[in-house]
Amino acid sequence: MDSPSGEPHMLNIVIDGHAIQVQPGTTIMEAARAIRIEIPHLCYHPELSISGGCRLCVVEIEGRADPVPSCGQACQEGMVIRTQSEQLTELRREIVDLLMADHPLDCVICEKAGKCQLQKYAYEYGLAKTSHKAHVSRTLYQDDNPFFIRDHKYCILCSRCVRACWEIVGANAIEIFGRGFTSHVATPFDGPMIDSTCVFCGSCVQVCPTAALMPVSRAGKGREWEMQRVETICGYCGVGCKIEYALKDGAITYAQGAREESVNGDFLCTKGRYGWDFATSPDRLTRPMIRRDVAYALGLTDEPWQLPETSPLEVRKPKISDSFIETDWDTALNLVADKLADIVQSHGHDAVMGLASARCTNEENYLFQKFMRVGVGTNNVDHCARL
Amino acid sequence: MTNSIREIRDADCILITGSNTAESHPVIGYEVVRAARRGAHVIIIDPRRIPMVDHATLFLQVKPGTDIYVFLAIMHAIIREGWADEAFIAERTEGFDDFKAAVEQYTPEYASLMSGVPVEQIEAAARIYALGERDAGDSSYDDARGRSTILYAMGITQRSNGTDMVMTLANLAMLCGHIGKRSTGVNPLRGQSNVQGACDVGCLVNVFPGYQSVTDAGAREALAQAWAADGLPGNVGLTIVEAMHAASEGKVRAVYVMGENPMMSDPNTTHVERALRGLDLLVVQDIFPSDTAYLAHVILPAAAALEKDGTITNTERRVQVLQPVLAAPGTAIPDWQIISQLAARLDAKMARERDADYWHYDSASAIFTELARVTPIYGGMNYNRLRGEGLQWPCRTVDHPGTPILHVDKFSRGRGKFHPIAAHDPAEQPDEDYPLVLTTGRVLYHYHTGTMTRRSEPLAWREPRGYIEINAEDAERVSLEDGHAVVVKSRRGTVRTRAKISDRVPPGTVFLAFHWREAAANILTQDFALDPIAKIPEYKVCAVRVENPRA
Ligand code: SF4
Ligand code: SF4
Ligand code: SF4
Ligand code: FES
Repeated sequence: MDSPSGEPHMLNIVIDGHAIQVQPGTTIMEAARAIRIEIPHLCYHPELSISGGCRLCVVEIEGRADPVPSCGQACQEGMVIRTQSEQLTELRREIVDLLMADHPLDCVICEKAGKCQLQKYAYEYGLAKTSHKAHVSRTLYQDDNPFFIRDHKYCILCSRCVRACWEIVGANAIEIFGRGFTSHVATPFDGPMIDSTCVFCGSCVQVCPTAALMPVSRAGKGREWEMQRVETICGYCGVGCKIEYALKDGAITYAQGAREESVNGDFLCTKGRYGWDFATSPDRLTRPMIRRDVAYALGLTDEPWQLPETSPLEVRKPKISDSFIETDWDTALNLVADKLADIVQSHGHDAVMGLASARCTNEENYLFQKFMRVGVGTNNVDHCARL
Repeated sequence: MTNSIREIRDADCILITGSNTAESHPVIGYEVVRAARRGAHVIIIDPRRIPMVDHATLFLQVKPGTDIYVFLAIMHAIIREGWADEAFIAERTEGFDDFKAAVEQYTPEYASLMSGVPVEQIEAAARIYALGERDAGDSSYDDARGRSTILYAMGITQRSNGTDMVMTLANLAMLCGHIGKRSTGVNPLRGQSNVQGACDVGCLVNVFPGYQSVTDAGAREALAQAWAADGLPGNVGLTIVEAMHAASEGKVRAVYVMGENPMMSDPNTTHVERALRGLDLLVVQDIFPSDTAYLAHVILPAAAALEKDGTITNTERRVQVLQPVLAAPGTAIPDWQIISQLAARLDAKMARERDADYWHYDSASAIFTELARVTPIYGGMNYNRLRGEGLQWPCRTVDHPGTPILHVDKFSRGRGKFHPIAAHDPAEQPDEDYPLVLTTGRVLYHYHTGTMTRRSEPLAWREPRGYIEINAEDAERVSLEDGHAVVVKSRRGTVRTRAKISDRVPPGTVFLAFHWREAAANILTQDFALDPIAKIPEYKVCAVRVENPRA
């Protein structure tokens, strides 16, 4: 069979009364997810290796005395598994209770609220506060870069961020340093991110279940449930990652990988995740413009002007209004149509060249080449594919 | 790509050449990292010690422009050692004997002499790729031969022998039968979000939508009919670089630029600028005032990708739908609306008789419907089908599921043809006056000519200005230190930038990205030696010298 791990024999198991067949090597967690049974979990992430640290995913297996973590346990022939029971709920509640003892519980002001996994389980197990002595052992707050903030007091040491960085991105920028109460996620010697091998992809931010890693761009910009969400395809490179933008009042607050039906899953690069703010730059062109010498010749301005000899590349910060005047669409389009018609009529169709764009849509490029071929009458239509 | 992005993680051996994957296609880089973590071999053949080398099991650092010798020698070794896939060659290909004779002379010893790569590395790469060997761990597949895939990018195509290079990689894959199955193939990584689509829908000088030749009278007639046009031009048009030459000769009088920046992206900027200045009409339609826009007669403000409806096609041929996230600023409108209004006006000026609404479309999706009708490889697609994960072409009918892997049972032309290739050296060789080889490309935090990313606060914070990568040995020769100002000269021009002393480049090679307008790399690159077939300029190799302005 031409698919990965296409093994011939399947295993028979029962999960919560559902008899199913799975491939050898499938974990109980994966088998359950395949039939849409959600086992509580914090350190497990479908794209990452198994950590086995949180134990929230414990399940009961018939014939075994103790519950076992389902994320690391491979299915075996004939296994009968239970994912819900009073005993399991008790165990899980205690795990969450302990985590909450070392967590600020300031959900009322936390921007992760509504999406935080710890909050979700606290709610599910009815824990308003911890029954243990509360003590937040990590206090480091690091805002050393304009991409993301590391606020360690929210960290539950699930190590998802570290695994994403090592296993997917391959940047190996962060690790869990220290032991016990001093342990925390860090770059070597706790230095700023920029001195590490970090590539600012923000993959760690997206897989973090709490507010320990948060995008800078959303700070103070609203709560999860206030955001409108729109999915589109990244406009940069040819990978074509699907990105979900969170917006508040029409402005982007942050971006993340759209997990479902995408080539990228939870993961993006730095350009896709953080490089969207150019769109609202004050430099954007907002009105059609005519160069001053052309405008003068047309009587649209009384000031004569000449295109300077120096290359625009030599000008440190060129200002567009120095060389152009703004106009309306009618004037601009009529001018272009006039001039194009003149050139075609006096020099022929092939005196016109069209450069289409590898950054425009299929529809736009299609229409552009149709315009060049049918409207102007030339095959002089090319784009940056070669460049 | 012949194959799909998500298959890369299951490959046993990944051969990367002329692609700075981790920086130019980071999310494909993640696939390579996943495969490497599971024990796949990663072989890199490149002049630069690119970041992906950290994950490689074998790095063949070639002198720029000499990789062709290495590939020919790899194939020589594969044939000599009997590692070729005889059954595949016999059943699926033709022209093997001529090809075999052509690689005869390219021994690993000869290639080593030309490229500087040790013989043992060439032979190891040949074995590992051919047999799909793993470094560790178990294969995802149970074939006798492991699965090897090739990833390449502009480092292969932007060369005066780019077409030869691409055919060489196809020869290599066919030789070992590493094509037409999951996790194999020959996979070009396309640079910009919709290069693939722009080609597919006919923004090329020699083909109409769907790669139908403009010189094919039948195709011309059929399309003219579909478009209700009197006729269509049947001569192959001028490519960008040819058009710049024609413009300086006064043959091309008008250039219409939709969202490109030739002042920075085209080779030999000084020449491009002279050509653009001489035009009777230069129109630039863009989202920012680019350096090309400064030379335009008219600038038209367009909506950005984040503000648009429409589809784009990624490097694995997947057509995906865009949705507007933001409102366009001011009076800016999507490019298709500008073109449609302009085309109607031009018709009026030229007194053409066409339906009044000939150029009118209600929406991007209405354009797509027409596009799909005249573009056979998109024939079975429509917006409803494209929502979700999109579709990979060819997808000719509405019940076709799309094509994740090309060439599964046969090649598009039937049998795969081996092309006998001879090695050619780059057009411009270093000499006494210009002793270094300049190679151009991208850095992680910026994109293309930088008009977007350099206006992004976090990205510009991380990589605020340009630099040239230079080896300590070459820097020492002109007493340059890290961070010093440096002057770089070629026969075309001069740029000023900063030196970054780095062992990513070997002695004799320097690297400059083309994102920086204050240090525009293409002032230096050459535009005289294009690949004879693809007409691609040789951005990856030109001769320069560096000077220390303080010396
Ligand atoms: S941003 Fe990316 S590279 Fe940096 S620590 Fe997070 S995952 Fe690693
Ligand atoms: S920072 Fe987030 S992802 Fe990383 S260990 Fe802490 S809670 Fe887990
Ligand atoms: S997120 Fe990065 S890798 Fe993905 S399409 Fe955008 S630029 Fe390419
Ligand atoms: S989810 Fe299984 S141990 Fe954490």
